[in-house]
Amino acid sequence: MSVAVEFNQVSKAFGTVKAADSVNLIIEDGEFFSMLGPSGSGKTTCLRLVAGFETPDSGHILLHGVDVSSLPPHARDVNTVFQDYALFPHMSVAENVEYGLKVKGVAPAERRTKVADALALVHLDSHAERRPSQLSGGQRQRVALARALINEPSVLLLDEPLGALDLKLRQTMQTELKNIQRQVGITFIFVTHDQEEALTMSDRIAVFNNGQIEQIGTPSEIYESPRNLFVAEFVGTSNVFDSGLAEQLLGSRDRFTVRPEKIRLGVAGECTVTGTITDLVYLGMYTRYRIDVQGIQLTVAEQNTESRLAMSSHAVGDEVQASWSKESCRLLA
Amino acid sequence: MPFREFSLIRRLSTYFYTRRRLRLALLLALPVGWLVVVYGGSLGSLLLNSFFRIDSFSGTIDRTPTLETWRQVFTDANMAVAGRTIGMATAVTIASVLIGFPLAYRIARFTSGRAKTALVLAVLIPLWSSYLVRVYAWKLLLASEGVAAWFFNVFGASSVLGWILSLPLIGGPSLSTSSLGQFLVFTYIWLPYMVLPMQAAVERLPESLLEASADLGASPATTFRRITWPLILPGVAAGSIFTFSLTLGDYIIPTIIGNSSPFIGLAIYSQQGVAGNLPLAAALAIIPVVVMGLYLTGARKLGAFEAL
Amino acid sequence: MHKRGISMAIVTAIVLAACGGGGEADQAGPITKVGDGEGTVVIVAWAGYIEDGTTDPAYDWVTGFEESTGCQVEVKTAGTSDEMVALMTESKDFDLVTASGDASLRLIAGGTVQEVNTDLIPSWNTVDSRLQEAPWHFVDGKHYGTPYQWGANVLMYNTDVFGTDAPTSWNVVFEETTLPDGASNAGRVQAYDGPIYVADAALYLKTARPDLGITDPYQLNEEQYQASLELLRAQRKLVGRYWHDAFVQIEDFTNEGVAASSSWPFQVNILAFDGQPIASTIPVEGATGWADTTMMHKDAPHPNCAYKWLDWSLNPALQGDLAAWFGSVPSVPSACDGNDLLGADGCKTNGIENFDQISFWKTPTEDCNGTGTDCVPYRRWVTDYLAVIGGR
Repeated sequence: MSVAVEFNQVSKAFGTVKAADSVNLIIEDGEFFSMLGPSGSGKTTCLRLVAGFETPDSGHILLHGVDVSSLPPHARDVNTVFQDYALFPHMSVAENVEYGLKVKGVAPAERRTKVADALALVHLDSHAERRPSQLSGGQRQRVALARALINEPSVLLLDEPLGALDLKLRQTMQTELKNIQRQVGITFIFVTHDQEEALTMSDRIAVFNNGQIEQIGTPSEIYESPRNLFVAEFVGTSNVFDSGLAEQLLGSRDRFTVRPEKIRLGVAGECTVTGTITDLVYLGMYTRYRIDVQGIQLTVAEQNTESRLAMSSHAVGDEVQASWSKESCRLLA
Repeated sequence: MPFREFSLIRRLSTYFYTRRRLRLALLLALPVGWLVVVYGGSLGSLLLNSFFRIDSFSGTIDRTPTLETWRQVFTDANMAVAGRTIGMATAVTIASVLIGFPLAYRIARFTSGRAKTALVLAVLIPLWSSYLVRVYAWKLLLASEGVAAWFFNVFGASSVLGWILSLPLIGGPSLSTSSLGQFLVFTYIWLPYMVLPMQAAVERLPESLLEASADLGASPATTFRRITWPLILPGVAAGSIFTFSLTLGDYIIPTIIGNSSPFIGLAIYSQQGVAGNLPLAAALAIIPVVVMGLYLTGARKLGAFEAL
Repeated sequence: MHKRGISMAIVTAIVLAACGGGGEADQAGPITKVGDGEGTVVIVAWAGYIEDGTTDPAYDWVTGFEESTGCQVEVKTAGTSDEMVALMTESKDFDLVTASGDASLRLIAGGTVQEVNTDLIPSWNTVDSRLQEAPWHFVDGKHYGTPYQWGANVLMYNTDVFGTDAPTSWNVVFEETTLPDGASNAGRVQAYDGPIYVADAALYLKTARPDLGITDPYQLNEEQYQASLELLRAQRKLVGRYWHDAFVQIEDFTNEGVAASSSWPFQVNILAFDGQPIASTIPVEGATGWADTTMMHKDAPHPNCAYKWLDWSLNPALQGDLAAWFGSVPSVPSACDGNDLLGADGCKTNGIENFDQISFWKTPTEDCNGTGTDCVPYRRWVTDYLAVIGGR
């Protein structure tokens, strides 16, 4: 697997704020790589550094082994899908899509075929002559995608492209993007603050916080084995057990977390605690409980299988046992 | 009692609340009335007068419709006046765009907060002082013994100045008595009116569009040509309306700077005031009206009215 | 419905506007007795002609009038003769106007001013006898105003360029020559931008081209007129800028290296006072000049106060003070003596001895000011001179 993008001790500050702090990162060819983190964590900055809209204060950025840190955006073999789509309002959809080719001097006939193919890829064939102002949000987003992909870049950058879409549309687009990426085989670097989105689409995720990468890994690695408190709490929900209970339950003072779905109610296990149910919400696929255990809030998610529904009928205020296996405990750094 | 007693004003206000058209009509009655009667009426009267002629013998206006006055307008001398004025207006507009654009772009894109306010103020401050004072100041600056000439001397380039002044169309005995000097003063005076609409247009341009263009492989020059320029053109057109029309109608600067060759404004003043030849003055006055009408139609097509 | 309404409004406005204008001649004669003052008199005048001490306390000839007659003086200053004609023609608010010769005949012909009864003006006989029946205010045996001041359009020149010898001919502004300082006069001369300047060209040709037979530079037949225009077209190539405003011309002589131009004593005085190397002369061909007359509106709202002012305006003290202030010559010769502001030589300096060399401004009319039938009227002077300035 060759390396598509490499960050080598890259730092970038805006005034006194360190947007990227000695970031080291390797992104492989052909993978769907997500940069996940809260606002201001530096993920967008790193994306823009790859695109060339910012230059690093120190460190190097390499594209396929070549140092591009000082190259302007128009010289890099990288294309971007912007958060606000950035479609040119004075051009039609077709003109927008063919812009990159036109600028490179591709002949009109060839441009026409490529535009047709690109629009077919995003299912917008019939909209070629419309203006961006006449399209819906989802359609504009697809035009932006086509406009970027038509240039066959080695890396495609997507800056929170689904942020403005409603839930259903977002979910559809997530699947579509993933399919297109597999179809086209290009490296996708995807920036988002929505951890569920990242988990859905990515081959690997980098979790950002305050300009630094907290953890890089596959979705299951990130979710199942968060390395520190931040990752544990940012990705999914976590129950954090600090030194007091830790010692009680595991015999060592190291903090650990347990995911809500790993906890079972009403039975004893390797690690067992007792508490009072303070909240109970039926969420369709599962039921979420909040249990007060010696002043600590525990969140438990039990899947609503037929057997479980038949078995238990807890209510708020009940005293109940909660347990999980030692294996489910994840030590935090 | 379910309803409160309302005062007369409240009742009037309620009455008008639902009758939007009536409200609008009353609001616009005065200004539109002024526009139609005073402005439209004056223009109409002007047009009407241009079809009369002045009686050679008695010097009074003969009110039988005729095209004789219009024939006089299309003489070589008067066409030269019109050509000179339109030519200067065009040159000033182009120069204002060339000078104003980098300034507007810089202010809009690369400054913010205090620095931006300071720069915008710097552009506007000349407008706070008297127009005449500024023009007279320029007359001194451009005089053959003025600051501009001194500058050339200091750099040993007085022969360059001499060469410039010897050029046929734009030169003259000194900068202050040449068309070039006139052009410089016109451009200076109207520049703020060009910078501000352009600055507004550039500010409305989303940064992401320019980034997208660069991202897709366009060099800065190409981005400017294909993206920036077409999108700010309405702002440029809006600013050009000001510079073109203001230069077209100006009759003060040509009397202070330049070699006294008449512009349309001066020609009209001479015919009306000095000669009492109202029909000819009216006919000459129609020329700028027609020119501006054409110009505004063109500017509207470019979207200038939205940009204003 | 809306469009129809607006069109109707426009048409109405046009009709109303076009129907306005045009005065009727008043055939009534002048008053025969001056009664009590009405309390006010309103005068249209050149700037500097009616001073009440606010500009310079030493120059005040209004306060005395107001105190002795009870008529308060209101002044409306105008910049050009044409403004004066326009003000007088379009309004009935003004009593008097200090009209130059290129305005006075227009006012008379247009019926805007009334005949003045000289019997009602005690000081009338103190007026310079040469001015009493001057053609620009004495028409068909009737007087239409009282002479106020007069002066010449002198040849103002730079003494650094000309050295000790004053230029003797107007050719230094009309034809390309090398001036005493060795350089050509091209670009270093100016000319007045008023169409009346055509008379200056004609005056020059009266001497330079006797074959044309020009006698009165304001009464030109077609051939004489065309020759004058030819001269002016040649002059256009020499002129840097045509002057219109006295102060702009003063600046040009100071900063633009202008060597010679027609001008008024007013500019000469100011430049000399500023220490500039400037002097003036009247060349052998003579000069054009202006003589201002105070005229009365035919519908003057305050005729009694107006007559009182007409008489006051001939008062020697006023005449002398004004001459000193403006650089002009009094129309009352006795004003030249005993006036501190004017000084003993004031009148001489201002050109009182040049009277016979001056061709005073009057409006050229088609009937040659009543003496002929084929003179070129002023209207054509305007159009053609404008074309000349435009390079055509």
